[in-house]
Amino acid sequence: MIEEPQTRAEKIGRTADHAMPLELRGITIRYDGGGGEPLVIAEDFDLGLEAGTMHCLAGRSGSGKTSILTVAAGLTLPTSGEVLWQGDSLDEMTDDEIADRRRALIGYVDQGGALIDGMSALENVLLPAVPDQQVEAKTEMAKDLLDLVGLGRRMRHRPAQLSGGERQRVAIARALILGTKVLVVDEPTASLDREHANQIIGILKDTTTDGIAVLVASHDQELIKVADSRTMMN
Amino acid sequence: MNAASRFLRSRSLVITVAVLVAAMLLSVFTQDRAQSALGQAVDTNSRGLYDILVLPKGEGTEGQTLKQPDYISGTGGITQDQLEQIRSLDSIGVAAPISLVSKVVQDIEFPQLKATDYVGYNENIATYLEQQNITDAVPASEWPEPDSVLSEEPKNYRITAKAVTSDGVNETVLFETAAEGSLGQAKLEEFDVPGGTSLRTVAPEGETGIKFPDPAGGSAHGDFDVTIALPMLPQISETVVAVDPAAEQALLGEAGSFLEPLAEAPGAAGRGAMELGEEFSSQMTPGLFSGGTESADIDGHPFAFWSPFVMQYQAAMEAGTLTDESQVIPMVVRSGTALDLTYSVHIEEIDDAGNTVADVGTVSKALGEEYLPFASTKPFQLRWPGGEDYNKLLGSGGVQVVAGLHQPAQWSTDFVSTPEYVAGEANPDGSVGQTATPQGWVQVNKLPEKTQQWQLEPDQSQRAPVNEQSYRTSLEESGGAAAPLPFVYGTFDANAVRDAAGDVNYLPLGGYDPTPVTLTEDAEGNAVDPVEMKPGLSGAGLSVQSAGAITDYNGLAAVRGTSPDDAVIDAVRVKVDAAGSWADAAGRIDATAAAIKDLGLDVQIVAGSAREDVSIYVPEYRQDASGAVSDLGTVSQSWVRQGAASAVQTSLSQASSVLLMLTLGGAALLTAASTVAFTRARRAEAVTLRAMGWTRPKIRSWFLSELLIGAAALLAVAVIVNAFSRTMTTLLVSAVVMVIYLAAAFISTALLKPHPPADTGPQGATGVPLVDSPVKFAARQLSTNRFNTGAVAVGVGVLGAAAGTLVAVILDLPRAAGSTALGSLALSEVGGVNIALALLGVVTALVLTLITSRFDLARKREQWDILEAMGWGPGLLLALRRSEAGILALMGLPLAILGAVAASLAVAPHAVFRAVVAGVLAVILWFILMTRTRK
Repeated sequence: MIEEPQTRAEKIGRTADHAMPLELRGITIRYDGGGGEPLVIAEDFDLGLEAGTMHCLAGRSGSGKTSILTVAAGLTLPTSGEVLWQGDSLDEMTDDEIADRRRALIGYVDQGGALIDGMSALENVLLPAVPDQQVEAKTEMAKDLLDLVGLGRRMRHRPAQLSGGERQRVAIARALILGTKVLVVDEPTASLDREHANQIIGILKDTTTDGIAVLVASHDQELIKVADSRTMMN
Repeated sequence: MNAASRFLRSRSLVITVAVLVAAMLLSVFTQDRAQSALGQAVDTNSRGLYDILVLPKGEGTEGQTLKQPDYISGTGGITQDQLEQIRSLDSIGVAAPISLVSKVVQDIEFPQLKATDYVGYNENIATYLEQQNITDAVPASEWPEPDSVLSEEPKNYRITAKAVTSDGVNETVLFETAAEGSLGQAKLEEFDVPGGTSLRTVAPEGETGIKFPDPAGGSAHGDFDVTIALPMLPQISETVVAVDPAAEQALLGEAGSFLEPLAEAPGAAGRGAMELGEEFSSQMTPGLFSGGTESADIDGHPFAFWSPFVMQYQAAMEAGTLTDESQVIPMVVRSGTALDLTYSVHIEEIDDAGNTVADVGTVSKALGEEYLPFASTKPFQLRWPGGEDYNKLLGSGGVQVVAGLHQPAQWSTDFVSTPEYVAGEANPDGSVGQTATPQGWVQVNKLPEKTQQWQLEPDQSQRAPVNEQSYRTSLEESGGAAAPLPFVYGTFDANAVRDAAGDVNYLPLGGYDPTPVTLTEDAEGNAVDPVEMKPGLSGAGLSVQSAGAITDYNGLAAVRGTSPDDAVIDAVRVKVDAAGSWADAAGRIDATAAAIKDLGLDVQIVAGSAREDVSIYVPEYRQDASGAVSDLGTVSQSWVRQGAASAVQTSLSQASSVLLMLTLGGAALLTAASTVAFTRARRAEAVTLRAMGWTRPKIRSWFLSELLIGAAALLAVAVIVNAFSRTMTTLLVSAVVMVIYLAAAFISTALLKPHPPADTGPQGATGVPLVDSPVKFAARQLSTNRFNTGAVAVGVGVLGAAAGTLVAVILDLPRAAGSTALGSLALSEVGGVNIALALLGVVTALVLTLITSRFDLARKREQWDILEAMGWGPGLLLALRRSEAGILALMGLPLAILGAVAASLAVAPHAVFRAVVAGVLAVILWFILMTRTRK
């Protein structure tokens, strides 16, 4: 299903180059309770994610896993604490700079894949290349990545024509298109059967062998088991 | 969950229907207010002083609705018997006849230059005060020492008299005449008389005096001044009109009170000129007229202006022009004159060789306010610079008696016709430019044919003749009675009469209300600061002033020697006895007009007319010294537009109705598009219901019942607005709104297919370009969601078309209002409301389009989140939103432009371009608002 490392390295176009590409320091996420008690999602949360490792945020639904992921991906700001990408604090970056760094560093895979309707799997994979106008340059790589996740023959299909597992794999391929160093993945197996869930777990585990750090949120025991480290969210 | 709950749950549907409901309420209320204001403005201002103008058979031009203010010319055509027949009709409130009686060419008495040369209190003055029984003079002990502007030894002076007239634009020097001589202080000289001595004021030894050419007299010393007779002013033409004073007062209301003395004048039997002249002359005993002359009268003839009457009587007796048949002509004369005529005197001290030694100064006086035709309350006097008028020491005895006019004034029936005009092409607002027709040059600036004192012919060569263009042809009528003797009964203010003739509902009174012309463009067509043109001396130019005097029909008969059977009435102004506005009285007015027409007269219904400022090109106006002729340019004059009220009400009502239709039609269309788009977005719900075993008809009725709640709300509002407005327009618009919304409801449920979207298979390997930019991303998304894209694009197009059309209608309002004053007034009353209605339409369309545009916002926000997670920065996401809105705007633009063009071609072809611009701007506004949407 997945090709050999020599080919893989070429397909994902990158090598590991930073010992700790993602670090969360003292992250507290608190939401206003609307007049009642404030809702504390995370408090003084620390995490250092090393290259080539997979860390799993485990816990039941609503435990704050996704909130930590969006903070780690720089999509939302924590109430307090600091997010560092390759040692650089996001606090010192503008929105545009964060977007640029995210594109170069973070691959984010939302729950359910979150593909864009009306666009083929290939186009979805190439979307991250649009801002740098590298769509044409990355097309072959996108095809290789779709091959890599087993969708080489479905690259012209649109999201509505793909199964949940296929959409999730397209999303992972999309997250890897720009030589991502950190893969942030939210509940990749939540709505999949075991067979398709295992395929996704395999893909994620394989990416770590390429030096990519994977931060995944899941309550899937199989996935929790294969992670190099894990945090239980309450 | 019942249909109402489901409808309320669908917030977007509720909002769109709520917007439509609000638009219906506001726009119907606004339009109703506009109609009400319009009706009030028209009703209040469209019935003037009279309703029907009756003219002699053949005088009332058929088919012309624009009437020039001049309609009487002295040629008559209506008999007294016909007037009585008109008055005998049931519906007649007032029937007021008017005729031009005569044209009078007159000279003002000799102007005088008064040089202060007061010899001090003396016995002659004391005797005068005693004989005249003057009690209000300054006591003898308080009289000042002698005073004079002249030296004891006579000095030589050159006095240059100059008269200049202006038509408002160009000045014409009528004459400039100099006279030289010496003047010095007068002396009191005692001389022997039988039984004693007497005092007299004599010129100093060696004084030559100053004498202008005949017919001017020389200089003479008195106790207070040296009086130097100056060259005469040029002859001035005045007209006299006749009215029935009682009927005219009834026509004018309070403004006609100036006619009261004329109404109380004795009948023809009490107007014998010889008897009255003799009686007044005999009453001129010392002291009789020293006071109370304003209230006293003799047999109904007021004493006001008795002095000119008696002096003219005496002059006529000397000339032998009066006969036993001669009658006095009671007249109310105009105060002042519109003639711009300035008389100036330049005084220089000179040596024996004629060289100027000192410039004494210049004094000047305009004919102006003190002038009264046929009389003068004061002599036309100028005073030597630096001098004081000591006549005031005499109290009432210092008032100088004046003859008023140089004798005799020439009464004639050499009338002039009304001007002839050639109409140009009609303008879009219905106004028609006119061109005046020149009728030939007439010569003015003549001296009288005879001198006053010696009955000699003056030397006419001392003045250069001046040519004035005539725009009125001569209509000389034969006839003439015994020489009339004018008798001034009172005065009237021409401007007050003009005000009484109405402003918006102006109807010319016929000869005694001024109809000024104002220059607006020069001969080259360049706009100039408006200048009111002054009348010329001939009385035949384009600009004429109010008649100089008004008399009654006995006066007319006396002047023209006509009998009661003669058709001397030029026109009759009829006020119909019907209360209310022009529209209320229209039926009765029409019936009255028909009855008058049956008497063999022409009738023009002027109820519902309005003033219209007409542009008139005036060619061949002026002749310079070399004889070169030049045009004047374009002047503006108030004419009367018949049927203006009906036209204004109809056209502005239509404009207002069109605005309402556009506002609510556009809103209903957008609500319909919104409804269809929104219902379509609920396909997933239909699929679920289908999966639950619901039949297709059941699913349709499920959604339809929801939409019918919105229709019910609209129906309720339609009932309310129709109960409020009660007009066919509101009923029609409400029906259109209901039909559009119901059609949208049925169409949207019909389009709601309860099946999952068909799998169309993979994209072709070729032919579909990869998405590599925000623009392509936006295009792909819009093509993927074609239905929504189409709905929004149509919405944007309708917005642009609506904005363009509304702007076209607003721009067309001035044309729709027409060129009359009533149209301008009505427009000022309803223009703001109509603009508010148009703005409401545009805002409603914009809001509904924005709502429709936001139906897909949730899905778009998800996409933006995905793209952000993939590293698309804020700038790129903004570019994406702009691309999407830009494509939609471009898609909607053709519809906006075509819609604006088509609609404005239908309602306002001249505003097509601006309508298109407005449509495009509306689309741009939508684009800006859309791209300002926060993520």
